[in-house]
Amino acid sequence: MEHYSLKINGHVYETGAEPFESLLDVLREKLRLTGSKKGCDEGECGSCTVLLDGKPVLSCILMVSDVRDREVLTVEGLPQGGEPHPIQVEMTERGGIQCGYCTPGIIMSAYALLQENPRPSEDEIRFAIAGNICRCTGYSKIVEALQAAAGTPIR
Amino acid sequence: MTKKRGLGVGSMFYGIGYGFNRADIGSAYIEMADDGTTTVYSGACDMGQGIMTVVAQVAAEVVGANIDTIRVVAADTTSTPDAGPTSGSRATFVQGIAVHEAASDLHDQLMQTAAGMFECEKDELEAHNGDVYLKDANSPIASLAEVAARVHLLGGRCASWGWHDNSTADVDPATSQGDAYASYGWASQLAEVEVDTETGHVKVLKIVSATDAGKAINPVAVEGQIQGGAAMGVGYALYEQHILDEGVPRTDSLAFYLVPTSMDVPEIQCEIVEVYDPKGPFGAKGIAEPATVPTTPAILNAIYDAIGIRITDTPATPERVFQAIQEARARGEFKD
Repeated sequence: MEHYSLKINGHVYETGAEPFESLLDVLREKLRLTGSKKGCDEGECGSCTVLLDGKPVLSCILMVSDVRDREVLTVEGLPQGGEPHPIQVEMTERGGIQCGYCTPGIIMSAYALLQENPRPSEDEIRFAIAGNICRCTGYSKIVEALQAAAGTPIR
Repeated sequence: MTKKRGLGVGSMFYGIGYGFNRADIGSAYIEMADDGTTTVYSGACDMGQGIMTVVAQVAAEVVGANIDTIRVVAADTTSTPDAGPTSGSRATFVQGIAVHEAASDLHDQLMQTAAGMFECEKDELEAHNGDVYLKDANSPIASLAEVAARVHLLGGRCASWGWHDNSTADVDPATSQGDAYASYGWASQLAEVEVDTETGHVKVLKIVSATDAGKAINPVAVEGQIQGGAAMGVGYALYEQHILDEGVPRTDSLAFYLVPTSMDVPEIQCEIVEVYDPKGPFGAKGIAEPATVPTTPAILNAIYDAIGIRITDTPATPERVFQAIQEARARGEFKD
């Protein structure tokens, strides 16, 4: 067991972990940051998406030892001053959430997109979340919610 | 042009609830506290279909409460009565009535007490949005919370329960004839596709889905179910293939069993058709599975419209479509 100081959501978390443990398992099991979901645990479904130095990554196939000295942002880090992020508000208000399992991953992919491209087209939104599988919504209301969060016209 | 476009329609009807004399039960408890907070103990489990919201809406409407004061405790075996699974497109249809019954009886208790408070007949009163009114009056005479507090003070009953049996008679075992289900849902979908005749790749460009909801209690949730249903139908038509090799699943991961992504599912236009169903809460019935069934035939018909070839095995993968085109070319039956 190694000792890790992890920079997550602007805080430093101290934890013991095996170097080969996934970031997702450390987040969920050691740090109890259970917002990131474990869907497939093999990098296919996107529900574990977090930001690493601002870029979306799949935390289930990332070893915790690769995260040293880097900035991790999880869905728990998005609200500011106790208020949910606009992406979270729109996803909730517009029916972008049904079972909710893909939701944290979708929100993190969308957040990364909007950081880079604040007014994306519908195609750019669909491309950005193509790695996040949703089985409930048919994506329509997710895309609508993200368009609303970006302030772009909704079809 | 290697890309050909086509339109196709799929239509269906589908039994709502379990039918065939299988147990089809909904049940719920309801209670209003002194502060007007109403708790519904509902046995129906919400896995994203929205039944908790529907339960809250039905309870609020029938009791006359503000929906913000409704608390739903759902699918907890220590506190909620059994309402069966959320499946068979039955939750709104069956549990909605059970909640309606419970809420209706609670409403009655409250109005009875209010009638005593204001020395009038129960039938002269109504409640909406958390307040009690003399019928047709503009300003309330009391809040439901005040009435509930009064009921408690008098040692009256401010709680109730509802139970609904949606089980049907079975069909004739000899002839299989009969009316198997309590109700039926109806749906039609239109799909537009583009088939690449060089690769066999099929892209769905748009789906229009018209689904009979009876009454859309929560239109946003109904649209969500319709759009989700169409997306599953796209998967069934084009991507999802379960391969068994001597009984061993070979498609046991999302890397091999492909489900549609945001790039594969097109715009889905929803047309909610409302034909009042006398057996459902406020006329509503289930729409979940009905929204899935017509998608695949609509897409396969659209492929036929585009290339003149019937694909009869699903999913219509590029390999299958390309092979069918090649065979038609070899027979001289395909015009590029």
